Amino acid sequence: MATSAETTTAFQYPPHYSFPPFFTLQPVATTRSSQLQSWSTFIQSYCRHHRIFSLSLIDALSTPLFHNTTLSRQLALRDAKAILTWMASPEGGHRAEFISSGSKKKADESEGGRVWIYWRRPEEWAQQLEDWVDRTGQKGVVLTLYEIVEGEASAREEFAGMDMELLRMSLGVCVKRGKAQIFSSGGEGEGVKFF
Amino acid sequence: MGNSGSSNKISAQDKAILDMKNQRDKLRQYQKRITVLTDREKAIAKECLARGDTNRAKLALRRKKYQEGLIQKTDAQLAQLEQLTSDVEFALVQKDVLYGLQQGTAVLKEIHREMGGIENVEKLLGENAEARAYQEEISELLANKMSNQDEDEVEDELEAMERELNGPILPEPPTKQPEFTPEQKAQMARDRAQRRARERAAEQEQRAEPMLA
Repeated sequence: MATSAETTTAFQYPPHYSFPPFFTLQPVATTRSSQLQSWSTFIQSYCRHHRIFSLSLIDALSTPLFHNTTLSRQLALRDAKAILTWMASPEGGHRAEFISSGSKKKADESEGGRVWIYWRRPEEWAQQLEDWVDRTGQKGVVLTLYEIVEGEASAREEFAGMDMELLRMSLGVCVKRGKAQIFSSGGEGEGVKFF
Repeated sequence: MGNSGSSNKISAQDKAILDMKNQRDKLRQYQKRITVLTDREKAIAKECLARGDTNRAKLALRRKKYQEGLIQKTDAQLAQLEQLTSDVEFALVQKDVLYGLQQGTAVLKEIHREMGGIENVEKLLGENAEARAYQEEISELLANKMSNQDEDEVEDELEAMERELNGPILPEPPTKQPEFTPEQKAQMARDRAQRRARERAAEQEQRAEPMLA
């Protein structure tokens, strides 16, 4: 999902973004690992700036993230996948996660699939949500999930416009901590109550 | 909020509130959709006008007008729904307050019961007054025992203390040599002679005394 939200200030690209070899994964192990690290930081800060919560690899390849038009350099799908796989691994700090979409596994394989970019991990989001609820005195108040993401009360928060699925995961963490409860009233909309 | 912390359960009220809030969210989404539509109609009208197709532009504008009316209607509904939701939430708060008041009253009553009623308090106060009167009597008796001499001593001590604190009050030292008249000088000489005579007499007495002893 490469729909970049309205950006108020231009994103500051890191210096290595204008360094052509950056767009090809290096074969030497040490160079490669530092390169992966740089890519990970870059992707995270880029997504944070544009409030992107998940990437569709095939779409993202043509966005400025992986495609430097001034250098006319582009990251190959294979390399992009390698980077994201590394980010998803313990070494990369679980800063990404491939979204498995069940049945269409084969199709996903070929196009790279969709990936969560965790510039904040669900646990960190959970903390943010709890802090927000605490700060705004909304403990014990019933909130709809839509309200949390799209409501006026949270428009200035970092989780505004967040992906519903990610929100659900983050709230799941809150529930596990015993800080919240998710429920529905038989209808389609879900609600959450913080304690 | 009050007692809600004690139960991590979702009550029927919570579900009802959720229903209302979901409804509100749906209205919001509807409004968003309509807003997109009105924007599109506006764009269409502009396009048609640019092409000189006044009729279609008019049509698009008419549609836009209608949709704006819808938005206004939903606005009113939204306000109603929101008011109802906040009413329900406020009622819940009131319930909490009432519960708190109930608890407080019960505790207060319990404490009163432990104190044993008004009569008990009156009795206790009476006893208290009696005891205090008795104590006063004793104090008075003891205070009268204090003799005049004791009082004097106390006052002396106080004065001594004051002196210690402030230092003795000294007269101003003279600034010039004293000047004497001839009569005064004669008087002083006489005084001196007398004093010496007295001293001599005392010395003689002292010398005499050990022999007596």
